[in-house]
Amino acid sequence: MARREMRSALHLSAGALFVMLAMAPPVAAQSRDEITRGKYIFGAAAGCGCHTVPKQPLNAGGRKYDGPFGTVYSSNITPDPTTGIGKWTDEQIITAIRAGRRPNGERLIPVHPYTVFNGMAEQDLKDVVAYLRSVPPVNRPTPAKKISVPMFERVFLPAWLATFAARENPPVAAASSGIPRGEYLTRAVSHCGECHTPRTMTMAVDNTRFLAGNPKGKGPDGSAVPNITPDRETGAGSWSEEQIADYLETGNKPDGDVAGGLMMEVIQGSSAGYKDLTKADRQAIAKYLKSIPPIKNKID
Amino acid sequence: MNARFRLGASVIVIGGLAIGIAAGCADKSMSKTGSGDVVADRQRLMKLQGASWADIQAKAKAGNVEGIAVNAETLALTAQQIPALFPEGSLTDKSKAKPEIWQKWPEFQAAAKNLETQAEKLRDAARAKNAQLTQDLVKDFGRNACGTCHTPFRQPPPQQPRS
Repeated sequence: MARREMRSALHLSAGALFVMLAMAPPVAAQSRDEITRGKYIFGAAAGCGCHTVPKQPLNAGGRKYDGPFGTVYSSNITPDPTTGIGKWTDEQIITAIRAGRRPNGERLIPVHPYTVFNGMAEQDLKDVVAYLRSVPPVNRPTPAKKISVPMFERVFLPAWLATFAARENPPVAAASSGIPRGEYLTRAVSHCGECHTPRTMTMAVDNTRFLAGNPKGKGPDGSAVPNITPDRETGAGSWSEEQIADYLETGNKPDGDVAGGLMMEVIQGSSAGYKDLTKADRQAIAKYLKSIPPIKNKID
Repeated sequence: MNARFRLGASVIVIGGLAIGIAAGCADKSMSKTGSGDVVADRQRLMKLQGASWADIQAKAKAGNVEGIAVNAETLALTAQQIPALFPEGSLTDKSKAKPEIWQKWPEFQAAAKNLETQAEKLRDAARAKNAQLTQDLVKDFGRNACGTCHTPFRQPPPQQPRS
């Protein structure tokens, strides 16, 4: 009797192992170094906070975004095989991040800033993928988008992307220090321009006024967004590099005020945020911000 | 009319008048609290908190650990006043408050209480001259104390050029 039971248990275990192997995603195992580096880049990208509803599971999506096109919800980017990206290959995940295409060819609405994430280096993207695969899977379907503009995805979105959307280009390798590092982080990874650069009538970023701020109603969440060019009257020209670098870690402003709203959210991040940037990277961003053209643009 | 009845009635009337006058005086004295413009009052309080926080940071940088205690106490005491300065219906064009304050009132109250608690921890560490703990608390205070409220409940302020 005991031998028969043991054979059944062995058959069951072998069967279970076979099923697990069959269901495993077709990717190489991530190394601890890749995951650590990936978490750092994830934090530099503000913890991909758009994909986490505050106080809810990490990366499980479902955050609502209203726009002139309708309403979308951020995707579940946990490794859940059914509702997340668990079955996607590394290449498919990277294509979604930088080119805005799902494995089935569907275009992402550029609330996900793939036009700037396209400026991320290949290794950084691979490391981010490693980190994304390492977080707990959450089974949570993403609510369906509600597009209110007829033919938006088939006609208007491709036309807008081709005509109006500014696009960053990927470097061969990520810059490692100084102003080039600051530029890489600001423009691509930390995607500061997505909030801080004025939008045109077509809702594209106006990079001729890079980081010059957005008035109330034009920024994300409907809030005003400060001018962080080095203009002394209307921008951050009176801040020192040290104050900028400190602000990115603590949210503390020189006048004793403290960041709020989405800015504090990106500083805190989700599992990591701007606060986790190294001092060298924060200083690099500060140096870069001091080097760009000052733009006079008063934001009330 | 019976004399005792007349006396009793007089006592009641006079007593009632006395209570009414006292209540009126109390009401007037309550209306003297604050300027009458609750938005202006809370913005003044927040500026005071900002000044206290700027002092704390300067003292932390200078290594003046014990000196931080008085500023931390100011933050703790002013934090107690925050909920009362946000009555229902006080969202105006001049205010940077978000409507979420009144939609999530218990969370807003908890955030104010958190500021008070964090400030008291900082005060106590400073009084005890515990330099390491004080510096650690100062480093995270903006995010963990002020940020707990500013993140969900405040419109971002415009850029403040230093004068």
